[in-house]
Amino acid sequence: METISKSSRRRARIYSAEARVAYICLIPAFLGLIFLTYVPLLSVLGISLTSWTGLAKPEFIGFDNYVKLFTTDPYIKDSIIATIYFALLSVAGSMIYSLFIAMLLNRKIPARGFFRAVFYVPYVLPAAAIYVGWSWLYEANFGFFNYLLSEIGLSKVLFIADSSYVVPSLSLISVWLAGNLIVIFLAGLQNVPSVYHEAAEMDGANGWQRFLHITLPCMSPIIFYNLLMSLIANLQVVTPALALTNGGPGNSSRFMTYLMYDQAFVNYKLGYACATTFIIFAILAAFTAVLFKTSNRWIFNEGGDDK
Amino acid sequence: MKARKSIGVGLLSVLLVSSVVGCGNNEKNSASSTPSSSAPSSSASSGGEASKTPEKTDTKKEKVKITYSMWGSAEEGNVTQAVADKFNASQDRIEVEVVAIPWESYMTKLNTQATGGQLPDTGMLKEDGVIQWSSEGMLNDVSAMYEGSDSKPLDSLAYKYQGKTLAYAAANEVLLLYYNKDMFDKAGVAYPPSALDKAWTWDEFVATAKKLTVDKKGKHPGEDGFDKDSIVQYGASVENLPWQLETWALSNGGGFYSADGTEVRIGEDASVEAIQKVADLYLKDHVAPLSVGQTDDGIQRTIIAGTVAMATNGAWNVGTSLNTAKEEGLNYGVAVLPYMKDKVTLNTGGANVVFSQTKHPAESMEWLKWYNSEENNWGLISSGIWMPTLEKWYTDETLTHKWVDNPNFPPYEEYKSAVVDYARSSAARPAAWFYTNHTTDFNTLLGSVLGDVWTGKTTAKDAIAKNLEALKAAHAGNN
Repeated sequence: METISKSSRRRARIYSAEARVAYICLIPAFLGLIFLTYVPLLSVLGISLTSWTGLAKPEFIGFDNYVKLFTTDPYIKDSIIATIYFALLSVAGSMIYSLFIAMLLNRKIPARGFFRAVFYVPYVLPAAAIYVGWSWLYEANFGFFNYLLSEIGLSKVLFIADSSYVVPSLSLISVWLAGNLIVIFLAGLQNVPSVYHEAAEMDGANGWQRFLHITLPCMSPIIFYNLLMSLIANLQVVTPALALTNGGPGNSSRFMTYLMYDQAFVNYKLGYACATTFIIFAILAAFTAVLFKTSNRWIFNEGGDDK
Repeated sequence: MKARKSIGVGLLSVLLVSSVVGCGNNEKNSASSTPSSSAPSSSASSGGEASKTPEKTDTKKEKVKITYSMWGSAEEGNVTQAVADKFNASQDRIEVEVVAIPWESYMTKLNTQATGGQLPDTGMLKEDGVIQWSSEGMLNDVSAMYEGSDSKPLDSLAYKYQGKTLAYAAANEVLLLYYNKDMFDKAGVAYPPSALDKAWTWDEFVATAKKLTVDKKGKHPGEDGFDKDSIVQYGASVENLPWQLETWALSNGGGFYSADGTEVRIGEDASVEAIQKVADLYLKDHVAPLSVGQTDDGIQRTIIAGTVAMATNGAWNVGTSLNTAKEEGLNYGVAVLPYMKDKVTLNTGGANVVFSQTKHPAESMEWLKWYNSEENNWGLISSGIWMPTLEKWYTDETLTHKWVDNPNFPPYEEYKSAVVDYARSSAARPAAWFYTNHTTDFNTLLGSVLGDVWTGKTTAKDAIAKNLEALKAAHAGNN
């Protein structure tokens, strides 16, 4: 009894010494987090309660900006719908596309290195160049896609000039850009133990069954990671709106981040833009929370339930 | 375990408190120091010199230092600085320093400087920012600038709001009709008129555009077998950026605003009908390519791309893009705009302002006045990007020759009639941002409202009726 308490006391001392070191080591991270994340976040909240335009002195107006956003703002509703629509399409598209491509690239095919590079290249190209290229493909009057359509006798599709097609068209670009997901999937696929596949093969499982019952469960943590990253990135979408559509036609591609940019740096309503930012933040947080909450139902941990 | 937690909490709270305190301090500092720190702001970029001046200039008369900000590359800034150096050498009271800021970040930078009380003394300001900045108390009244002067800027180039002259435009611009002469020659159609009294009606314009619109089989709109999906050359394109659309609303007897800028008139039938006519060029007449106002490169997409025979846009295109295309063989001409009921073109031009944070308003105005005499902007004017603002260049034929008779321009007689005379005619009306506030909000919303009108999913009437209250709120600054 005596010895146990003695040793546990010693252990506690060691722990507290260790803890001190740990906290000291954490300070830089905390400083960064506080000054680069939390203070700006609080400032955004603070500014969102003012009518600041950057010129005259900010005036405290309580929750007026939020009230205005939810009642009379002509853009925000369309903007939220467009963003979520875009994010869901892009996430679903790029997850399926990149897992599929990753599995093809994981096979022993000739010139595998070359093809891996081919599918990764879009991700490293400069965004501006990519969107200029796609704007030529999508152009409504003389664009390449419409040239092909008219060559085979079909009528023109307006792509990004039509409010019903603009989001799917932009999503397609974002799927095409998903090279980073492919790389992460590839790494994950190479970690799926081949013994499982061999065992299943011996039991007579076909390719689809092995995919469903071995590859997918083993990949589920990677899928979760990619899903999360892709969802957050796509909810924050802004480049296609800036580079291709200016948020149009109408509000059909006026994504939330673009709306915020427009309010802050085109119309210089900084207080209002901060309120919009907080709404974006809330939506992002909600989506992320839902994903995390549901994740333990479908993520398979090889090491068992050690959470 | 408990100890660990409490250390953590302690650390966290210390950090939080210190950050909050630090933050508070900063704010106080910047707030209290604004007035005093703004004094040397004019020479912020040459701070070293500025701090030296008081010591050594006791004997000599001290030169007042002012900064002038402009949009453009560092190179363009050097050109302007060279002009300013001439001014600096011409007198011994004022020293001007030029700061060039890239166009894309120009207004953002100025906004940041305004927040910090660090604005230059004087500078250029984007058209739609002038009245807003003035109503927030950021600009000096410049109505006294041209008192007793022999040549004043064109009256349509003064920014006026509630009876005060806020600024004069740094340059003049008007909207024109550009056309591809080779396409007209090939079709055997007469060129659009460059004289205002011969201006085409809208129907004549559409009829001509039909002759110039050709599908793959060589058919024109309205002919049997014409296929709108295989058009290889369009007849006309009318720029549908919201601010340029006001031309047609005014031309049809309507408008975006009342003449004093207080009322919104875009809901009137005449205004709505004008916008629909522009949309119908694509939807019904099949003479125009589709444009949903997503990019601001109308002339590049039409005349320079060689896909459209006629296109409306601003005079600046002569210098920004058409001169290069001309060297590469484009044979283009300029004409006056067609009209619906009244002959209308809009004129505009970025402003030169004196900021209210300056301590030297008189010196700033003196510099602006000197700088705005066109000899000093000669590079921009002779290339065709800017048109002069002073009246004498439009009235004195020798000066007009000096301005227009050079290879950057279309033939003299044509440009003189379709641009120089046009800009001084009764057709030229100031764009809305010369006399009314919140045009950015209004135009952004209007652009969004009209998005589905260009593709025919809705009509201008329905779209505008549905959003009229929001448009009025935008104009009132309540958006």
